[in-house]
Amino acid sequence: MRKTFLTLALLGLVTLSTAPAKAGSAVGDTAPHFKLTALDGKTYDLADLKGKTVVLEWANPNCPVSSRHTREKTMIELSKQYGEVVWLGVNSTNPQSGDYMKPADELAWNQKNGINYAVLADPTGATGHAYDAKTTPHMFIIDKNGKIAYNGAIDDDPPGRKAKAQRVNFVGKGIDAEKAGKSPDPASTRPYGCSVKY
Amino acid sequence: MTLPKTAPFSAAVAVALLALLTPRPALGAASEWSVNKQSQVRLITAWKVAPKNGELWMGLQFRLSPGWHVYWKNSGDAGFPPAVTFQPADVLGKPELLWPTPHRFDLPGGLVAFGYADGVIYPVRAQIGPAEEKQQKGTEGTAGTGETPGEILKITADLDYLVCQVDCVPFRYTLTLDQPWSDAPESDPETAPLLQAELDRLPRTTAEVAGVTTGAVLDAGRAEGPDLEIRVLGVHAEAGKTDLFLETNNAFDAGRPRMKIAANGVVFHVPMKAREANKPLPGRTPIAWTVSNLVAKDGRSFNLESQRDVEVWTKNGGPAGGAKPQPAATPGRLARLLLSALLGGALLNLTPPVLALLVAELFVLRGAGERGRVREGAAAATTGIVGSAWIVAGLALAAHRMGLPAGWGAQLQEPVVAALLAVAAAVLALNLWGVVEVPLAPVQGEGAASTSRHLLAGLFATPLALAWPVPLLQEPVGYALSRGPATVAAVFAVVGFGLALPYLLLAAVPVVPVPGSAERWVPRLREGLGFLAGAGAFWVLYALSHQVSAEGLAGIELTLLAMALLAWLRHREGSGRAFRAALAVGLLASAAGALWLADRNRLAPRPAVSAPTTVPRGTLSTSGG
Repeated sequence: MRKTFLTLALLGLVTLSTAPAKAGSAVGDTAPHFKLTALDGKTYDLADLKGKTVVLEWANPNCPVSSRHTREKTMIELSKQYGEVVWLGVNSTNPQSGDYMKPADELAWNQKNGINYAVLADPTGATGHAYDAKTTPHMFIIDKNGKIAYNGAIDDDPPGRKAKAQRVNFVGKGIDAEKAGKSPDPASTRPYGCSVKY
Repeated sequence: MTLPKTAPFSAAVAVALLALLTPRPALGAASEWSVNKQSQVRLITAWKVAPKNGELWMGLQFRLSPGWHVYWKNSGDAGFPPAVTFQPADVLGKPELLWPTPHRFDLPGGLVAFGYADGVIYPVRAQIGPAEEKQQKGTEGTAGTGETPGEILKITADLDYLVCQVDCVPFRYTLTLDQPWSDAPESDPETAPLLQAELDRLPRTTAEVAGVTTGAVLDAGRAEGPDLEIRVLGVHAEAGKTDLFLETNNAFDAGRPRMKIAANGVVFHVPMKAREANKPLPGRTPIAWTVSNLVAKDGRSFNLESQRDVEVWTKNGGPAGGAKPQPAATPGRLARLLLSALLGGALLNLTPPVLALLVAELFVLRGAGERGRVREGAAAATTGIVGSAWIVAGLALAAHRMGLPAGWGAQLQEPVVAALLAVAAAVLALNLWGVVEVPLAPVQGEGAASTSRHLLAGLFATPLALAWPVPLLQEPVGYALSRGPATVAAVFAVVGFGLALPYLLLAAVPVVPVPGSAERWVPRLREGLGFLAGAGAFWVLYALSHQVSAEGLAGIELTLLAMALLAWLRHREGSGRAFRAALAVGLLASAAGALWLADRNRLAPRPAVSAPTTVPRGTLSTSGG
């Protein structure tokens, strides 16, 4: 009886330690799968990006917090600085929302404002909900093994009061850590900005 | 772009915009309004003439267009709270923004925001230093107005805020105010009441509202995900009005709270989500919260804020600690917990009232002489102890289910239970002194102690032991309560066996006759043991001194004395049946009086951690200083 119990407990332990991390948005979770069409019509499948570091940026050109970062070129410069990283914007705005832009209009706006990385259209909000994306901007770093390595804000300055050089850019710091084979620290912060317009 | 569109050029807005374009500082207690389509904001102070020392009260006053809101310190899923810096920093230091009780705003996609609609004043407290040179720097010596000659303090507030409906718009303003100040301060009749009203509505702490207690535990061992349970007791809550707002936490994200109104308060359950799944959970985590729209026992409504270092329970029922979460209930852990339950139970025998009862009982048992009787008596006592342990287990479980604090040691935090324990210890003392003939441990020579009497003595042992917060028992009992009735029954049974260990040992060893002239010294020993029981009563009274007011405690002590007096009268003079019955009724009434006094005079316990800043009432209502 005792032996059976021990065996069962041991079996449970083994199962627990070998089971793959569940998909979710917490740091350490397997990044939820997505296959979405970008504004330019190209399809992006997370499964194809295995082995690469991926940054997801929830964006909405009609959100003043998102557009402040566009104006300040926060994401634009960061994505250029880390060319080896796959930088993807995601727009989960509901077509019913006043903030919604047709893909062609949004693409034109992006090009005009210097956004030259791909922005994925998630009009159903399914990917946004899978990542539990709350704000624009809301940032994620997915490591080379497909796990969430960072979840949170772009930087430590929600109102944008500090000079750009004075801000701590959590995503830049996180990518540096990933490159050095370490885990981002902090690995999670509170995102700030407009709510995602689901 | 949803930048603010130009407002219709109504005269008022035009004037306000003009004021914006040519910012000129207002004199006195309020800056000009800064106006946009979504909101208006100004800086106010409570003073016509501000004090040059001590606290300087200011406020950021917002008026919001219908549908728009600004944020609480935790903005919720989106947004961010206002950020402000004040000048001159060398005079004002780092003023502190206080946060009125927020409201909940539901956003599309199940998102939620916490903040304020219509209007709000964020009170700001600045501490003006006494240093004279400080004052010189930031001020201009001016003639001032005719009535308030003196100096002017130029206050500026650099403010950033986000105002949202579903859309959000950020704004940045510099609010300026020329504040006359002198050593003869005078409050402003318009702004001081506005600020005071907001200060009066700020959340209170448990220390400020009599009879309110809070508790919280984060159960991270549930299959459905971690659950934060927050209890607020000693209040009335109202469905649809009372709400819980959690401040941010580094380790967990919070979901939507569910509220359950209990008989004596309210219990919230909040689904939590660990933010980093690849890290061990912390053993404890600081959780701060505000509960809105509560009604205190005296009928006044209030908001409550509280902060606790909350224990995080993992699957194995214990605190998470640094270690990797273990799989459910390993046999080793269970064995260890049961062992500490047994040891803890045995240790309880050393606590004064239990020891008094035990020694008295053991002598009666020994006096029984033949081995068979001893064994029978010991078995009866053990049965009694385990039985009463189970009764206590049932009560603890019921308390836990009702959302009351339960766990070994929690009973002393409830004044009525503590008073009952004091009465029990006092009754035992009186019994040992021979003035109360409760058939617990009958005096030697009353013939063979019957089995039922030993059973009763056993039943009495666990309640007596309840007054002792033995640390060894806290973990097993806490674990058991987190697991369910079967584990609770098992753990309490083991505690009972621990408590009964001396009886079991006695039954096992061969009988040695009591030495010497037992008739003479055993009664004396009994009386001596009465003092030990008395010590127990005093200990519980000491514990009660943290739970009830000084007057209440004095009252309870007097009821105990009255009990002793009545018992003594009954013992000495109680010849008539009616008289004896009347005295017995008086005795019971005194005991009941002790419980009643404990309930009536309860205090809120001291807060577990340093209370958040509190605002004295009436701070601003007086002028002059």
